[in-house]
Amino acid sequence: MSLKRIVIALCLALAMGVAACGSSDDEGGGDSAANQSEGTQAEGKSGPVTIGFSAPAADHGWMAAITKNAEAEAKKLGDVKLVTTEGATDSAGQADQIESLIARKPDALVILPNEGDALTPVAQKATQAGIPVINVDREFSTPGAFRTWIGGDNYGIGWQAGNYFADQLKCKGNVVEIQGLAGISVTELRTEGFNDAIKRRCKDGIKVVARQPADFLPDKGLSVMENILQANKQIDAVYTHDDDMAEGVVSAIENANRQDEMFLTGAGGSKAAMERIQEGGLYRATFLYNPSMSASAIRLARLIAREQGLEELAEPEVPSRIQVPATTVTKENAKQLMPLGF
Amino acid sequence: MSTAPDTARRTPPLGLPGGRIELQEYALVGVVVVLVIAGAVLQGEAFLSSDNLLGVLRQSSIVGVLAIGMTFVIATAGIDLSVGSMVAAASIAGGLAADSGSLAFILGAVAMGVLLGGINATAIAYGRVVPFIATLAMFTMARGLALWLSDKTPISVFDLEFVRWFGTGEVIGIPSAVWVFLAVTALGWVLLNRTRYGRYVVAVGGNREAARIAGVRVRRIIFSVYVLSGVCVAIASVLLTGRLASASPVVGNLYELDAIAAVVIGGSSLAGGRATIVGTFLGVITFGLIFNLLTLMDLPIEIQQITKGVIILAAVLIQRRER
Repeated sequence: MSLKRIVIALCLALAMGVAACGSSDDEGGGDSAANQSEGTQAEGKSGPVTIGFSAPAADHGWMAAITKNAEAEAKKLGDVKLVTTEGATDSAGQADQIESLIARKPDALVILPNEGDALTPVAQKATQAGIPVINVDREFSTPGAFRTWIGGDNYGIGWQAGNYFADQLKCKGNVVEIQGLAGISVTELRTEGFNDAIKRRCKDGIKVVARQPADFLPDKGLSVMENILQANKQIDAVYTHDDDMAEGVVSAIENANRQDEMFLTGAGGSKAAMERIQEGGLYRATFLYNPSMSASAIRLARLIAREQGLEELAEPEVPSRIQVPATTVTKENAKQLMPLGF
Repeated sequence: MSTAPDTARRTPPLGLPGGRIELQEYALVGVVVVLVIAGAVLQGEAFLSSDNLLGVLRQSSIVGVLAIGMTFVIATAGIDLSVGSMVAAASIAGGLAADSGSLAFILGAVAMGVLLGGINATAIAYGRVVPFIATLAMFTMARGLALWLSDKTPISVFDLEFVRWFGTGEVIGIPSAVWVFLAVTALGWVLLNRTRYGRYVVAVGGNREAARIAGVRVRRIIFSVYVLSGVCVAIASVLLTGRLASASPVVGNLYELDAIAAVVIGGSSLAGGRATIVGTFLGVITFGLIFNLLTLMDLPIEIQQITKGVIILAAVLIQRRER
């Protein structure tokens, strides 16, 4: 019985806390409204900006870098108050967190959804509540759900990789593709871009002898590659969809002592991959899918909240789509691009 | 006290059901033979080469070691859903100690495995938490711990020759990981079938009340199997890290399901009281062969998943019929 009472007391305290938060946020909203009337039209608003940030649980390096970069950028800007939510492990959990962010009435929301489709309704709700949503990477299913999208170029990764393979192999050879997680657009696009490029450049000169998913996991990459090595006596190059996963693929090749037979490329742009590329040898290149995009998203959110545009553009508003290029990282430019690594 | 072993022997363990278990093991031998023949026909040399077959054993060794521990857990009518996450946590714990050498790595991994296994054990045996829930909690805690301790980035153990030997070394032509797997299997077999402890484990799973009345220290037995599972986790993490040459917080994803499936198709009962190490071993080999064969054939993943499911179901159905 006493436990029950404690629980009830806790609930009441929580409810009061929430109410208190709500009222203070209302004041915040009033402030920014006041700012709006003060600011001139060309300059937009000024003063501190509150940005809500939501991304799925960081369970790998890239996602960790997304959150880290956003936080670092907010700190660097100084006048941005970033409200982040704890990493949700599924879409429903993230939707709940975004709901709670909406309730706090931030000036803008930066969201990297766990799944674009599943989180579109909650993004739409935020937009309708007058909070501009900056959609990072995984796209919402309707333009009505967000103000601006910034993301990487998955098709571009495949396309760049395909062209790189065509150059390096002179359009002739056996290629293995280790894909990410089957059935998601990231994987499909990275495969499609690669296919299109090698078909267009080389017709049937480059043969994909094996194409298997390893779910972006290094241990899966290891065991899948071990089997593929058994099945194929001559492999000239391996295209992998992810730098972390590629670590396992590299181990499989090196354990089988076949690193001189082939080369390998990654994707993403991790520090470890760039270091390996600098060393030379098996790991020949990677293609950027840079988590710095979350830092850019914070900057965009700040501009949008202040109703400002990008200085270099003629238009007074932030563009509605920005795609970060899939730069090819090789031995030649690895050192220079290292600061972007994660 | 002297009556305890006697009574335990009369409860489920190796009396009547033993015969049934043997039949099931034979059924699985049949499945393995069919898979090998299929592989020989479909893939020929690429499949039959000793290199590939040893590769299958080596790949199976990691989940295999986990499955041996899981057999003891399942024998007590328990379940351990946390072994995959615990492998990641143990690898990372070892990785953090890697600067002090291979032995430090192994000590770190064992310490983490035993610690987390011990937490499971305490919650289940003394906190009376249902195994499913206690280990489900550990499933997420251990993964979180691995990510937190590693700052979400892999730790290279490229310089740890001895750890890497477990992944890449060979003794008389057979990979060291396979030796470890065989040794763990042999030890597990002796422990389960030839010791008083093993009989108690099965007795607790068969009828806990009867075991208690017979004087078996039920809680202590239940406690021990989760710690044992933790020890197997530590061994598996050393094998995996040695193979990958790095400790990563994202490895081991859903290994528990592979381990549980291997135990169950091997013929052990999820309801406890019936357990077979040989069956588990064959179950692990069956999964290893399926995975190997399907990737050799380069089938699309969706076809692989369907095929794998059908084979599991068929293997279990065949066993039922033979019983």
